[in-house]
Amino acid sequence: MKRSVEERNWLEQRNVIVCRCEDVTLEEIRRAIAQGATTLDELKRLLRVGMGPCQGRTCRELLARELAEHLGKPVAEIMPPTFRPPAKPVKLGLLSRMVENAPRGDEGSSLEGGESR
Amino acid sequence: MEYELVVVGGGPAGLSGALKAAQNGVRVAIVDRQEELGGQLVKQTHKFFGWSRRGAGIRGIEIGRRLRNAVLAQPHITVFTGTEALGYYPDNSLLIEGPSGVSRITGKTFLFATGAQERMILFPGNDLPGVYGAGAVQTLMNVYGVRPGRSVLMVGSGNIGLIVSYQLRQAGVAVRAIVEALPQIGGYAVHASKVRRLGIPILTRHSIKEAHGKECVEGATIWELDDKFRGIPGTEKDLDVDVICLATGLTPLGDLLWQAGVSMTYVPELGGFVPIYDENMETERPGIFVAGDAAGIEEASTAMLCGEIAGLAVAAKLGKIPRHRFEEERNVLARELAALRSGPLSSKVRTGYERIRALVQGRRGS
Amino acid sequence: MKNLYGDLPEKDSLLSSGIPSVEDLDRVLPPPEARRKGPVAVLECFQKIPCDPCAQACKLGAIKEFSDVNDLPVIDWTKCTGCGQCVAACPGLAIFVVDETYSPEECLIAMPHEFVPLPERDQVVLLYDRAGRHVGEGIVHRVIRGRDKLATPVVWVRAPKALAYVARALGLPESQGRSGN
Repeated sequence: MKRSVEERNWLEQRNVIVCRCEDVTLEEIRRAIAQGATTLDELKRLLRVGMGPCQGRTCRELLARELAEHLGKPVAEIMPPTFRPPAKPVKLGLLSRMVENAPRGDEGSSLEGGESR
Repeated sequence: MEYELVVVGGGPAGLSGALKAAQNGVRVAIVDRQEELGGQLVKQTHKFFGWSRRGAGIRGIEIGRRLRNAVLAQPHITVFTGTEALGYYPDNSLLIEGPSGVSRITGKTFLFATGAQERMILFPGNDLPGVYGAGAVQTLMNVYGVRPGRSVLMVGSGNIGLIVSYQLRQAGVAVRAIVEALPQIGGYAVHASKVRRLGIPILTRHSIKEAHGKECVEGATIWELDDKFRGIPGTEKDLDVDVICLATGLTPLGDLLWQAGVSMTYVPELGGFVPIYDENMETERPGIFVAGDAAGIEEASTAMLCGEIAGLAVAAKLGKIPRHRFEEERNVLARELAALRSGPLSSKVRTGYERIRALVQGRRGS
Repeated sequence: MKNLYGDLPEKDSLLSSGIPSVEDLDRVLPPPEARRKGPVAVLECFQKIPCDPCAQACKLGAIKEFSDVNDLPVIDWTKCTGCGQCVAACPGLAIFVVDETYSPEECLIAMPHEFVPLPERDQVVLLYDRAGRHVGEGIVHRVIRGRDKLATPVVWVRAPKALAYVARALGLPESQGRSGN
């Protein structure tokens, strides 16, 4: 649902949370955009949005709309952030065990190597 | 382990694709996060529409059970449940995390049937406990037998919002209202009438203004919207609810497709970014197929057909079936799919698929 | 009552409220000769969606075979005996059977009812119209549970004749299923 400017201002004042995993409010997101963030990757690096347990599945679209609105672009032009493995948080112990168990010469069996777009 | 086909997602599309491929001699692995195969079908207690000969009139849970039994009885299929796909790598391998830890499996081909994620909306109090996605409410009630609360505000009148409202009432939970921002109900009229005659008001041009409560939801305020979807001050109504259920739409879940470098495009009619794929459900990365909501938000009945087409196309690609037999069978499935999508309520998805087809043809031409 | 269906809007209400209008319902109202004859199916299906189980369920060929899966059902009133097979089969719970010949004062209405506990024979139930308003009481005449627990039960209710085309849902007095709304 598209919200009007007045309504979004009101939401900002009311401290509405956009990224629930990392507790990031609309106000913080708008401030980052005002300071020059123009992509989802930049917002992610500045605020950790989309880096929690849900990996942005809840907030990604909301963030894209907010960016689109401020940049005066259609939301279709706001590219998602880069997707890398793992697609969800995993325990470091599991990964270290995987590397330990990898056959010799296959130490590359880490998370590296995922292709970005 | 190397498989001829790795299916990611054990919902209606993935299971249908796995079965079709395996029946044609393809060695298949299915990876699914849940302990039980079936995807969303495991909680869909309503009867499906579509053709009687293709499962219409049968409840989703029963369709899920039949697909699951068929898959488990199929010797060519290896099932990894409770297993999450963490990453796709250009050497055609998939990093998976399951009961026995993290490992890799490789596939000659892949079918990504990863489904959808729920859309959220912003309102004050949207992070209070008691604000649920409709999928979670359905899981609580229909999988675990737990009522989410005593009194609900449903946001969104698509089929999911309507069906979940009905199921809440079946569970003995009150539904105070269904609010819909658009001037028209989004879901099927039969679902709407079914909940309306139970006394649940469906309020079009209405939305949630805010949720109230200290530690959890203790109430909600709704209001009427004007033509530009702005709340109209003075029209607020307070509802005594302890649950706010969001059924505000779905968007395709494409994280692994992005990782795999599949070309994606934004198609609002299909719910957001979707992969570009041809009439065989194959993306522009040869050997990577898609089906179901991950390929565009639609219904389980069309997802199953798309899955079958993908499974068949995999079998043909691997040389398991002759080209002419593949085309013959594919065309039958494609005709059924087109018929299901030919009604007036499918005009939006038809527009979406036409966009994708135009993109594919444009690229072939150049 | 304002009209045959109780107090419903004249038109254009279905997609904005879920309540079918008089105009919608007039289109599926059985003709007088069918209503005089005995029980007859009323197919309250107004929107073209891909769905055909009613035609398959009808063993008498009264609901015509669909040429397009999106067709609206078409019923041959001369063949319909009001058996109620289609009531249990309709995925949209949009079919009812009405028998206005039951007795001088009462009619029978068959309604799909997917709530537990199911009412029992001779039990008094509350009747509701298509907007969920309480419109009267009825007495349970028969309960068809269906083949298994996944089937849609069909409850046949004896009701005042004036409610034949008004009552479309039922509830147990002060039951779990109706509480709240």
